[in-house]
Amino acid sequence: MRYFAGIDIGSTSIKITIIDENKNIIGFKTSASGSMFYKYAQETLDALLQELSIDKNNLVYIVATGYGRKLYKEADENISEITANALGARAAAKEYGEIKTIINIGGQDSKAISLDNEGNVVNFAMNDRCAAGTGKFLDVVALKLEIGVDELGEYHFKSTGTPLSVSSTCAVFAESEIIGLLGNNHSVEDIVCGVHYSIAKRIVKLVKRVGVKEGIYFDGGPAMNGGLVSAIENELGHAIFIPQYPQITTSYGAAIMGVDSYKYEQNL
Amino acid sequence: MNQNKENHTFETPAEKQNRHKAMEAIKLLNTLREDFKSPIQSMEYFYKLFEEVHCHQKSLHDDKTKIGTMCIQIPSEIIYALDGVPIRLCNGFYTDDEIGSDLMPQKACPLVKATVGHFASGNFSDKPDIVFSPTTCDQKTKVGATIESFGYKIFDVDFPRTKESEASREYWRRSVKQFAVELSKFQGKKLNRSNLESAIKKIGYAQSLYHKLSNFRKLESVPILGIDVFLVTNAFFFDKIDNWIDAMENLLKELDLRVKEKINAANKISPRIVYTGSPPIFPNYKIPQLIEESDAIIVADETCSSNRMFNDMVAVDEWNLYDMLDSIADKYLKACTCPVFTKNNDRIRRIINLVKQYKADGVVYQAFAGCTVYELEQRSVLEAMEKEGIPILYLESDYSPSQGGQLSTRVEAFIESLKTRRRNKK
Repeated sequence: MRYFAGIDIGSTSIKITIIDENKNIIGFKTSASGSMFYKYAQETLDALLQELSIDKNNLVYIVATGYGRKLYKEADENISEITANALGARAAAKEYGEIKTIINIGGQDSKAISLDNEGNVVNFAMNDRCAAGTGKFLDVVALKLEIGVDELGEYHFKSTGTPLSVSSTCAVFAESEIIGLLGNNHSVEDIVCGVHYSIAKRIVKLVKRVGVKEGIYFDGGPAMNGGLVSAIENELGHAIFIPQYPQITTSYGAAIMGVDSYKYEQNL
Repeated sequence: MNQNKENHTFETPAEKQNRHKAMEAIKLLNTLREDFKSPIQSMEYFYKLFEEVHCHQKSLHDDKTKIGTMCIQIPSEIIYALDGVPIRLCNGFYTDDEIGSDLMPQKACPLVKATVGHFASGNFSDKPDIVFSPTTCDQKTKVGATIESFGYKIFDVDFPRTKESEASREYWRRSVKQFAVELSKFQGKKLNRSNLESAIKKIGYAQSLYHKLSNFRKLESVPILGIDVFLVTNAFFFDKIDNWIDAMENLLKELDLRVKEKINAANKISPRIVYTGSPPIFPNYKIPQLIEESDAIIVADETCSSNRMFNDMVAVDEWNLYDMLDSIADKYLKACTCPVFTKNNDRIRRIINLVKQYKADGVVYQAFAGCTVYELEQRSVLEAMEKEGIPILYLESDYSPSQGGQLSTRVEAFIESLKTRRRNKK
């Protein structure tokens, strides 16, 4: 049995997915990127192989992607996270339907990708300048509000008042806005809800730049936050599809690329 | 967590618009409630009113015919006399501005775009049954037809662009009578001496309360912020007039107490500002907020959302129906300082008078990008102020929430320079 790995080295975390020749997911693992991308990626891969009892020799092709992909020299190939994301999203949503638009919010960036009927990337837009409105921003917000990042969704749906907008999505400025709101005894729920809408508005602008086409897929860690998902749907006015494991879409796409490249190289 | 359920729903466009507007409204209301020292208890009526209307879409006039007006040049006296409720539709929401932007030229005035956007959405807490649109500025004149195309009943009211000539006075008197005839037909009610007289007196009383409020702003320690006054006068656009009068009387009582307790809404050094230009309309209080957050205080204004609405009263000689109508027409033409007129020295005189009466340190002139008449008149006003030795800051802004940084630097620098002037005078 041959196995293929996709390694997505992001700014915040490393995601590794292992698939078989038929592009079925065998297993995946995530870990923090920390300061030594290469070392942690290697450790995570070893641990994953061990968990799955896969012999290293059967791992025939590794594709690296993500912001730190060039630091992973052992990869057989490396591809941009845009291409990997598109491949992964189409495969992950196979049963849901045709994916035409992808929203990705990562640790320190966010992007919108538009695909054609064959799944080719026709256009994409990324946030510029800073990490405003990305996963990092949610971390900072949760920290200030003294709740866990994974609790944000729950708080969102408990909001009963008008969402309190945070006009700055810059993590540094937003922090002081949030302190101000807390100081005036506003409910944490309404603040969380407002924060989600601020991010949603920003991401929807990005999506509009590439064009909104039905078949919208949302991935990246923040897609696990149901409150943010609902805010984006409301702002967009369209339903969006969330895969079962939103954080690994891009590494899954890289692994799929691995299968295709391997077969091409081996003339299979 | 998985979103692929059949019955999964999200907001309708109207729900989304309501939420956006609620978020804009609550942000400003929270600022007014929390960010300034010594809040005024009786202002809570107004905060609550705006919160209920804009965050909870509360209707105020279910039982009345709602007469939409596109501008203050439509005489409210006649509307009240004919048992209607005037609702001024000038709009300050960025949400509606964005909707209107798809329907109008990009460089159009945000106020007009927001008004058109509001009509396009059809999403009103008090939907107007008929709309009267005076031919004042070009953009408002033209959008009447756009709004009509959305299915509203619109009636144009001819407004002259000169005010010196006797001919324009006659012309406008005819328009006002025509307006009264149309509305009378619509309402199935006759205008008579007694209903018009009591409407004039009621509005006159509301105006007298505004004048009392203004007197408090002439004091050395001003007990109320300009931004609160803008909210109070904006409420007059749509509130039940009797409730507004009660709330205003309560406010005046509290201000009286504050004066006795020597409460100053600002600080001793805070420069006193006269505000003029395109009207601040809830919740677009961006510039007034910047001014007062930068430790200055707005003591008077020359805008159509506030001072111009209340300053001049209908002066009646004989309480006969036609005399009253002529007096109303004259008030709306002769006293108007809107820059749509060919010559507008009245406006310059008014600003200079306000600076003197209210002992202001400077003037802030704000024009909406796209509000051509205010942009054009900026030059003559700046020249006149320079001649008088009155410092003036000219700013251009729109409804977008994102230009705070650049504007605040200019406002702060201007206010600091006024403070320095004050210190040097001593």
